[in-house]
Amino acid sequence: MLSKVMSFALAGLDGIPVEVETDINNGLPSYELVGLADAAVKESRERVRSALKNSGRKFPTQKITVNLAPADLKKEGSWYDLPIAVGILKATGQLQGADTGKTVFLGELALDGSLRPVTGILPLLISAKARGYTSFILPAGNAGEAAYIEGLEIYTAATLTQVVDHLSGLLRLSPLAAKKYEAAKRGQYSSDLAFVKGQAIAKRALEVAVSGGHNILLVGPPGAGKTMLARCIPTIMPDMTFEEALEVTKIHSVAGILGEEGIVTLRPFRTPHHTATTVSLCGGGTRAVKPGEISLAHHGVLFLDELPEYHRSALEALRQPLEDGCITVTRAGGAVTFPANFMLCASMNPCPCGNYGSTDKVCTCTPAAIHKYRSRLSGPLLDRIDIQVEVDSVKYDDLVADTAEESSEIVKKRVERTREIQRDRFQGLQKMTTNADMGEREMQKFCRLSRECENILRMSFERLKLSARARARIIKVARTIADMAQSEQIAPEHILEAVSYRSYENFQ
Amino acid sequence: MTYTEEERAIIRLDSYGLEYSKKAKLYRLAPSARALFADFGKYRSAVAETAGEETAERIERSLADKEYTDGLLHMYSEKRIECVAFVSEKYPEELRQIPDPPLMLYCRGNTDLLKERKFAIVGSRRTLPQVMKRTEEFAEGLSSKFVIVSGLADGGDSAAVGGALNSGKVISVLAYGFDHVYPGCNRALLERVEKKGLAVSEYLPQEKPLPYHFPMRNRIIAGLSEGVLVVSGGEKSGTRITAAKAYEYGRDVFAFPYSIGIPSGVGCNALIKEYAKLTENLVDIYAAFGINLTETEKISLSAAERAVYEILREGEAHISEIAQKSGLKLHEVPIVLTMLEMKKLAVSCGGNRWAAVC
Repeated sequence: MLSKVMSFALAGLDGIPVEVETDINNGLPSYELVGLADAAVKESRERVRSALKNSGRKFPTQKITVNLAPADLKKEGSWYDLPIAVGILKATGQLQGADTGKTVFLGELALDGSLRPVTGILPLLISAKARGYTSFILPAGNAGEAAYIEGLEIYTAATLTQVVDHLSGLLRLSPLAAKKYEAAKRGQYSSDLAFVKGQAIAKRALEVAVSGGHNILLVGPPGAGKTMLARCIPTIMPDMTFEEALEVTKIHSVAGILGEEGIVTLRPFRTPHHTATTVSLCGGGTRAVKPGEISLAHHGVLFLDELPEYHRSALEALRQPLEDGCITVTRAGGAVTFPANFMLCASMNPCPCGNYGSTDKVCTCTPAAIHKYRSRLSGPLLDRIDIQVEVDSVKYDDLVADTAEESSEIVKKRVERTREIQRDRFQGLQKMTTNADMGEREMQKFCRLSRECENILRMSFERLKLSARARARIIKVARTIADMAQSEQIAPEHILEAVSYRSYENFQ
Repeated sequence: MTYTEEERAIIRLDSYGLEYSKKAKLYRLAPSARALFADFGKYRSAVAETAGEETAERIERSLADKEYTDGLLHMYSEKRIECVAFVSEKYPEELRQIPDPPLMLYCRGNTDLLKERKFAIVGSRRTLPQVMKRTEEFAEGLSSKFVIVSGLADGGDSAAVGGALNSGKVISVLAYGFDHVYPGCNRALLERVEKKGLAVSEYLPQEKPLPYHFPMRNRIIAGLSEGVLVVSGGEKSGTRITAAKAYEYGRDVFAFPYSIGIPSGVGCNALIKEYAKLTENLVDIYAAFGINLTETEKISLSAAERAVYEILREGEAHISEIAQKSGLKLHEVPIVLTMLEMKKLAVSCGGNRWAAVC
């Protein structure tokens, strides 16, 4: 007898419907799984066999053929166990009267017949919903993330027996109650600007950077607090909207790093080690194409500590996603596009020994060594980092001083206000939300410079020997600073402050 | 480019790549270099005695080749090198007077600069940023009266060259042949010097930058110049060799003073204790040469800029310190500092600390 059950395959962040066809014939007992299944799917045979037996069902001693259609699409992942098991039950008449119709089955089976949660549920549900599928049966462990999709009829089961009872009408499961994003329990960031003593200049630079969506480079000796400052960036970014949270959750779901809460509510903060390869940063892989660190940092912060230590090729690969907000990973099997709209925060020492410019320690680096160290960063990459600021080591007195530092909450309020101004400005413009996204055309429109500003800018180029490409960077940052001051016009002091955020060039 | 017979003979003599002392002895063997080669049979035994049998044989072999000198000159002109020999008209008089003048100056660029008044500015590789700025300004100012002579090392030398480049009145003396660049990061600077000013080397094009070339090179810097300004130098800096040579040749030596405890200034202070003239401004240098200086333009400053500048004049200060003393808000300080930097009155020393360019 032949049976058909619906499931889904994942290609990047896209779900594609897969029909699981099971046919049972007389003949020598065998089990054939066709339809470009990878190893994890092929192994489902043993799990399905044991799970069925241990759930008190019969595994047919006949010739079984399972086909995953469309046959030309590669199937990866472990969620085909459940649809295959249900298909076999249907084909052997153990599920009489049950109509699975357009119900989508996803789930991995344990040998004892219980259902294990799988990765990538959220993007699968979103794609399935867009394609008109409304009924789903999922493992109970995936209930957390599935509950945030509204308008779906989702049943979650802990065991195969529960699924069978539900389908045969013996004991119906109750549909999963949808959860509101607003009600999601928000975690707490472990960092707060209030814990960072002193560093007023760097804090101001961080606020400017986050307000305008600019990338930032922190330059300072070891132990100055660069990492601590960087960790505060998510805490002053505006809260994620539901759409943003969903996008982030989708990616984290595919990567299999989703927590128990089911939805990501805090902005991601990713810190790949400097030995990271291009593939681990950008995404890829030989089997399933997995999102890389830059996609995991989507809507959050990608923190690259000790920037010059990273492989040059890995850094250069960041240029295109920094520009486009997404990355297309191409493999022989096809191309996958992952979103990668992140804020880049990088840190580095001023020189190999780290003491250049220090008052109390002597820098032992030769000028040639410093040159070499700094030349590891390419001009085009630095062009995409609008703000470069120095972080100097904190004096002991500052550390123990009992001065009240501004908390992240207060700074966040200001950032939100500045972002509001930008949202209004870029209304109706595609893919543009912050000043950093501005192109040449928008700058002409929104960043008119008075003659006085133009003179100061000209002077700064002539006198400070800035590179020509620094101009756009300075104007964008000046626009943000003006927005922070709620000033319609860019004033000379805004330009001057923007010029001061170029400490990297100071070294040259 | 045409060369006299004697010039051609010196170019030939230099081409054997002998060390300086042997070269000089061979040159003095005969009344002229030309005579040395014309009557080589007569001098052969003396040559073999001074420079070794092997060299004598090499010279003999090359004398058999009628095209030898022409080949050399062709190679040099291919490399855009102009040869100025000890007897050439362009050879600077000051350099002739030193006890060990170079036989040859291989030049790239504007050789007319060799005949102008020259003044050397030298500094060590580790030079404080504020001193670099100051050096640039000195070089720029002095280049109105002098051609600035320097090396091409990182730090003080590059600053001096950079300051004088605009006027084109700059001579860089290299410690290696024109086939090389050292340090590599100054390749672009060297190219600009060759284009606008002059690069000079005593060495054959293929000579590498070897350590013992540098002190030898320093004697040329000192020998070319009427005076030498040492802007920075540690305990054992090469700049002290240049200064000592200049003193030995009877040239004026000037040095920037440093406050106590700055490693890159120890050498300068030592020089001042011995014979160098303490130098704070251009007037100190011009006075020694009897040149009158016209008043420089005054720069206008806002109240905040003046306040910050006054604070910086007391010494290097951290941004937070400046804010505290000036009463400005912390985030306003960088704005004022950037303005001062543009007016060339302040310079960043790294680590958010700033200093005044006095």
